[in-house]
Amino acid sequence: MSDIKKQSEDELLEEVTSSEYKYGFTTDIESDTIPKGLSEEVVRTISAKKNEPEWMLEYRLNAYKAWLEMEEPNWANVSYKKPNYQDVIYYSAPKQKPVLDSLDDLDPEMKRTFDKLGISLEEQKRLANVAVDIVMDSVSVATSFKETLAEKGIIFCSISEAIQEHPELVKKYLGTVVPVRDNFFSALNSAVFSDGSFCYIPKGVQCPMELSTYFRINEAGTGQFERTLLIADEGSQVSYLEGCTAPMRDENQLHAAVVELIALDSADIKYSTVQNWYPGDKDGNGGVFNFVTKRGICHKNAKISWTQVETGSAVTWKYPSCILKGDNSIGEFFSVAVTNNKQQADTGTKMVHLGKNTKSTIIAKGISAGYSDGNYRGLVRIAKGATNSRNFSQCDSLLMGDKCGSHTFPYIEVKNNSSQVEHEATTSKIGEDQIFYCNQRGIGTEEAIALIVNGYCKDVLNQLPMEFAVEAQKLLEISLEGSVG
Amino acid sequence: MGLIDNLEKYAQHQNLSKDKRVMFDSFIKKGFPTTSDEEWKYTSLKKVVKSDYNLLLEHTEIENSVINKYSLGVEDKIVFVDGNLVYSPEIKGVHISGFSDFDCRNNDVISKLNSALAKSGFTIVVEKNTVVENPIEILFFNLTKNSFSQYRNRITVGENSEIKIIENIQDLSKSSTLVNHFTHVSCNKNTKVEYNKIQNNCKDSTLIDCMNIFQKQDSVCEVNTLIFGGDFTRNNLNFEQNGTNCESNMNGISLLDGNQFADNHTFVDHKTAHCRSNEMYKGIYLGKSKGVFNGKIMVRQDAQKIDAFQSNNNLLLSDNSTIDSKPQLEIYADDVKCSHGCTIGQLDNEALFYMRSRGVGISEAKAVLTYAFASEVIENLSIPELKNLSQRLLAHKLGVDLDFSL
Repeated sequence: MSDIKKQSEDELLEEVTSSEYKYGFTTDIESDTIPKGLSEEVVRTISAKKNEPEWMLEYRLNAYKAWLEMEEPNWANVSYKKPNYQDVIYYSAPKQKPVLDSLDDLDPEMKRTFDKLGISLEEQKRLANVAVDIVMDSVSVATSFKETLAEKGIIFCSISEAIQEHPELVKKYLGTVVPVRDNFFSALNSAVFSDGSFCYIPKGVQCPMELSTYFRINEAGTGQFERTLLIADEGSQVSYLEGCTAPMRDENQLHAAVVELIALDSADIKYSTVQNWYPGDKDGNGGVFNFVTKRGICHKNAKISWTQVETGSAVTWKYPSCILKGDNSIGEFFSVAVTNNKQQADTGTKMVHLGKNTKSTIIAKGISAGYSDGNYRGLVRIAKGATNSRNFSQCDSLLMGDKCGSHTFPYIEVKNNSSQVEHEATTSKIGEDQIFYCNQRGIGTEEAIALIVNGYCKDVLNQLPMEFAVEAQKLLEISLEGSVG
Repeated sequence: MGLIDNLEKYAQHQNLSKDKRVMFDSFIKKGFPTTSDEEWKYTSLKKVVKSDYNLLLEHTEIENSVINKYSLGVEDKIVFVDGNLVYSPEIKGVHISGFSDFDCRNNDVISKLNSALAKSGFTIVVEKNTVVENPIEILFFNLTKNSFSQYRNRITVGENSEIKIIENIQDLSKSSTLVNHFTHVSCNKNTKVEYNKIQNNCKDSTLIDCMNIFQKQDSVCEVNTLIFGGDFTRNNLNFEQNGTNCESNMNGISLLDGNQFADNHTFVDHKTAHCRSNEMYKGIYLGKSKGVFNGKIMVRQDAQKIDAFQSNNNLLLSDNSTIDSKPQLEIYADDVKCSHGCTIGQLDNEALFYMRSRGVGISEAKAVLTYAFASEVIENLSIPELKNLSQRLLAHKLGVDLDFSL
């Protein structure tokens, strides 16, 4: 990119951000970028630009040193050209899409998708970044939401802001669930994360709205190295949704996010993800690499529930996990992973049972079409002390087309003799008789498949917050469009 | 010293061919697998590799009464003592001989070691259109102290033929021994092969077993693995289906106590369409025993209309027993029915209570329920002598005096 072009883009950025973020939380918006590559200097620069305290810089440097010693993992059943980590810009201002005058300027393909998803006109404008004043309405709603949250003592802000405003909380919890040295990508993220969300729900507070609703109104721009830290104090409850059903086109090819959830005694966290990043074209060119580390820790009687609908990204490498440390804690994982064309997904969960009477449920549904490969990789570990613990896992795969693959790699490790573990997996395709049955009754083949796929995924889609469940259903239809020969 | 040193020293004095030397060198370069190797993730060879073994086997004679003591009592027996073939039966249409070298494309390091150094084993060739009525029992006895023996066996079954084999490896030296056992089975068109392994060796014995089975059109092959004894057992069982309408069946029982360890590693490669595979492994763990199951089913791209079924059920009956299970499916064809199931649990307390309230003692009640759990495998054994032995061993290990043969 030439300097002049970059400069004008930066100006545009500043213009946009200064208006868009008037009521938002993202504080210091830097319009400058730093050179490509990763070095100690770069880590120091990032920390300095964000005006971070000494301990944060220390944390980042430690992570950077750890990262240098680590090797990029290659055990996942995916193949891709390894990114050159010295060819990435590790700090840049939040990216913004150009502002459009009206919806008519929108890429017709995009518009078609919005319509199919059934997103309201107002919201379409916001998602597509159509000029700001029209969105005023939603912004004011967002502000009132923020007030409601503040009243309850809920802290909900960007992680950079949290580092400045609530250092005691960040210091106490950051890196406790996903340690710096956990894996290659978490070390990288810890060293260079630019932003992300921070959420703290005080003792006994039930978050008055689904934070998902909040995101619908005021979606936070996801960065390349996003860091999320969510703490639910004793007896509190929260539902959080990240991502969006709308297609996300992003220039960054590599995404390495880290999400840490902390559910203290009797807390309840529900974390839902809808991921629809750019999957690359039909021949597998381009597309986002999504290498995410997500993990939650459950203290006594706490519950963490992960729900994910994964339809995008060229390569997905993601295992939302629960560490069931406290007695009577519960972990859940519900997933639908769709791969089409040349997409590859290696996803699943880890349930580590440490406390007594801990329970976990895993429902994973994979759908592979085209030339894609879908993998389920999961671990259920019952430690010696996890008396009376219980796990049920079900991972089903649906194959559409004879060139795709579906694989399951469950790991089950049990060291306690009062625990019960069940695992079952099936692989099948949509029966010709089922399609015929629908055809007979006047339902076209494409619709019939959508119907069957939705039925197949129902267990998972039902777990999503209401408004997203409907969209997610439609999203599945779109993702699988044209995959039936 | 340790095993690697023993092997190097031994190999120096052997007149190895160039190929074998290359194979041995590549083994030495790689060494024994460690737990960082995905296929050996839960199985540590540390203890085995650290120990010293005697690679030069003595040549001892053995009395018939000893053979009979360990034999199942079937008529046709092949007997090995310290690596020497001492007895083989005459059966019409079956040619039995000792070790004959053969090539195998195997990437597994331990199989490579076998391939480089093994000098003992059997070769069985079954002619076309031969149905061998009686099962053949193959007994391997060892009398050398701390021995490391390697066997390399080959079975070729001609078209339209049938054969049943029982294999038993028995150590009589009362010392810690290691066996590296490799068996290659070729099942030609329309053959029926049944291979039974009784693994009831003494408590210091280590066994690493690898069995590669190649199946052609319309063949049916069944392998039953019955693990009761031994200190450390690793079974690699690989099926390759190379023709339509093949059927591969695998059944296994592991009944372990004390510090026993057993690892069943199965792999079924469905390369052609219209084939089936059934897999059922049951594990019962007492004491501080540890079990590992790794079952992999691969369905290649053009292998449509495959039915593959795999189940692994485990009973943990003591506080310190452990099970690691990894059932895997790798599927590249869409018109298939594949499933796997894995359960880990305990005996049903209500069922136990039911029996106890009717005057059945706790250990008997447990034994009956455990037998019921294992019966799916044991009841389906086709050789009556083998079934009886399994029932006796089960009762013995559970410490009850019950006769399960009804």
